[in-house]
Amino acid sequence: MLETVQLSKQFKGKTVVDEVDLYLDQGESVGLLGPNGAGKSTTISMISSLLKPTSGDVTLNQQSIIKNPAELRAVLGVVPQDIALYQELSAYENLKFFGRIYGVPKQQLESRIQETLEIVGIKERQQGLIKTFSGGMKRRVNIATALLHNPKILILDEPTVGIDPQSRHYILEMVRQLNQQGTTVLYTSHYMGEVEQLCDRVYIMDHGQVIAKGTKAELLSILSNEDTINVQLDRIDDEFLSSARAIDGVRKVEVSGNSIHIIAKQERQIVSQLVKISDQFDVQIKNFQMETPSLENVFLHLTGRTLRD
Amino acid sequence: MWAFLTKDLLLFWRDRKEVAVIILLPIVLVVLLSLVVPGMFGEETSESYDLDLALVVEDQQDQGFERFQEEVEPSNDQSQQMIDQLQAMPPVDGLVAYLNSPELAEWVTVNQMDLDQAQTQVDEGELDAALIIPEHYTYQLLNEMVLDEPSEATLQFQASGQSQEVDMLRQMIQRYLDQINLQYAVASSGSQVDSANDNLPEGGVENVEGQSMFSMEHYFTFSMAALFTLFLAATVATRTGIEKREQTFNRIALTNAPPLYYLMGKTISTFILAWLQMMFVLVGAHLILGVFTEEGPTFWVGLIVMATLYALAIAAISSIMTSTMLRVKNNDTGDGIFMAVVMVLGVIGGNFVPINVLPNWLQQIGELTPNGLILATLTEWVQDQTYSLLVMPTVILVAIIVTALSIGIAVYPKRGEQS
Repeated sequence: MLETVQLSKQFKGKTVVDEVDLYLDQGESVGLLGPNGAGKSTTISMISSLLKPTSGDVTLNQQSIIKNPAELRAVLGVVPQDIALYQELSAYENLKFFGRIYGVPKQQLESRIQETLEIVGIKERQQGLIKTFSGGMKRRVNIATALLHNPKILILDEPTVGIDPQSRHYILEMVRQLNQQGTTVLYTSHYMGEVEQLCDRVYIMDHGQVIAKGTKAELLSILSNEDTINVQLDRIDDEFLSSARAIDGVRKVEVSGNSIHIIAKQERQIVSQLVKISDQFDVQIKNFQMETPSLENVFLHLTGRTLRD
Repeated sequence: MWAFLTKDLLLFWRDRKEVAVIILLPIVLVVLLSLVVPGMFGEETSESYDLDLALVVEDQQDQGFERFQEEVEPSNDQSQQMIDQLQAMPPVDGLVAYLNSPELAEWVTVNQMDLDQAQTQVDEGELDAALIIPEHYTYQLLNEMVLDEPSEATLQFQASGQSQEVDMLRQMIQRYLDQINLQYAVASSGSQVDSANDNLPEGGVENVEGQSMFSMEHYFTFSMAALFTLFLAATVATRTGIEKREQTFNRIALTNAPPLYYLMGKTISTFILAWLQMMFVLVGAHLILGVFTEEGPTFWVGLIVMATLYALAIAAISSIMTSTMLRVKNNDTGDGIFMAVVMVLGVIGGNFVPINVLPNWLQQIGELTPNGLILATLTEWVQDQTYSLLVMPTVILVAIIVTALSIGIAVYPKRGEQS
């Protein structure tokens, strides 16, 4: 349905998106995961025709939309990361304005506004000015605006940034329902939990490149022969860390506060070795946990960094 | 496009602080300036005229006539008629009488004295100026007027320094002499001669016969209306910057709405706001201060036509600023540039201080700015409601509108070009 082919973007000679290939099939929910600055928003800007790529192509049903994006715009809804609404206008007035310029027929506009307000759950507050809304409510109107023209494809760029858990849950549930009703979704986030929860397939981006892609199961299989162990210590000791890194089978040791995260090959005697060196350097192990692999671990495995680094 | 237009007007209306600044502030300023400034500079100006003039009469008028008649035989009846006329209304007596007339007595004190005394007192600054009627002045004047022979019949005017009042007195004497010369010339052709009568300056503004008075209230009303309407162009550009920063412009760009609808919405809404602002200030100043009480329908028609053209010019300029704002990387840079442009236009257009305090070359440029042009045009219009006066300003304003709109459209970013 929607596809990017070797999509690249350079700003002043610096490559911020590098030959990205991704596709969305009809009705799919696809995640674009990566830390801040990975190139997700720039990729979305190019897909949505807001930004011209330096090279590569974006196609809708095998037709390039770079030069003639009108067809894509008619079926695409974009929820930007920022609250792209007029603060001095009410939710209703914002929807009415954007509905008109999206080309929603006049006789359908009122009903579409009320439908979308219903979907995002702010029908009762529709006459309130945006500037008086909480962060969560603004996010909901931000989404409603992208739904006005009943898009077949919905791109959401970090739609839950900076909002309360209740609003986040509401938005995630709303996106899931839209997807279940047939809307194709491209969801970007640096919250891997959201992507795991919502998406059928995931692209992981870092430094402008897609570094991994596939279903959740496929991505987790990257870690199939590795364990992640979280160890809480009473203190961090440099000699202890050096010795831990030197244990046979340990691939990475990450420090976070007084805890360390160890990625190591399975079926190795890591635990007994850790106990041994803790005695040796007088470091007390306060807690010990074998972690179920997640996309966060996949990202850590691939980049050596966490998503929030 | 209607959606863009209503959105922009609604956004403007919701910003009550801006509405207050744009509509009320100029009216408040017009009222304050009209009440305060004339009291400081204007109304007291006429009362502050207090010139001391030395009058030195070295000419002996009667001897001059006698000598001329002894030496010269009138060549024809016309010459004799002129001599008779001059004797009936002797030029030196007429000038002395004029200087001592009640009209001049209000602001000039004439002291008759001899030459040495006059020069000493002028040099020492005790007197402002001296008018010297030299020896044989009447005789030489007769030679020049009757025989058309070159002579040295010249009055001498000496002043202790340059001042507006001294210049005015010099001009008044010159105008009197010009009028006398004309009257003698007319009389020599057999027509009726009226005694010389000249209007004196009153207040800070010269009242030209057949024209309405242009007052400080008029100046402040026109200049504030033009200036604050000009500010509107920068305000609209600032709003564009906010739409860019808050990503609403990008959201608009994601729709299939024709790109220029955004610019046209901005331009038309600016025109409506600019026109309303002009009208609020002009009508407000009239209702509060009675600025145009004596004006009739013709004046208002011309005023509305020019205000409409000016509002269109401001809208066209705002289209350049809007397009530029969409291209600049930093909104603050755009705001700074636009405010600087408005301030420069305001200064050279004469909205902050009257344009005549500026150098001539700058005045000429200033009168080509829309705000300077509207100010100069309305200044003339309030004094003389002849429609032909509006033709050239209309042509210039239309040229500004077309040029500015073309630039605005050319600069407007194509898809994917906005910063």
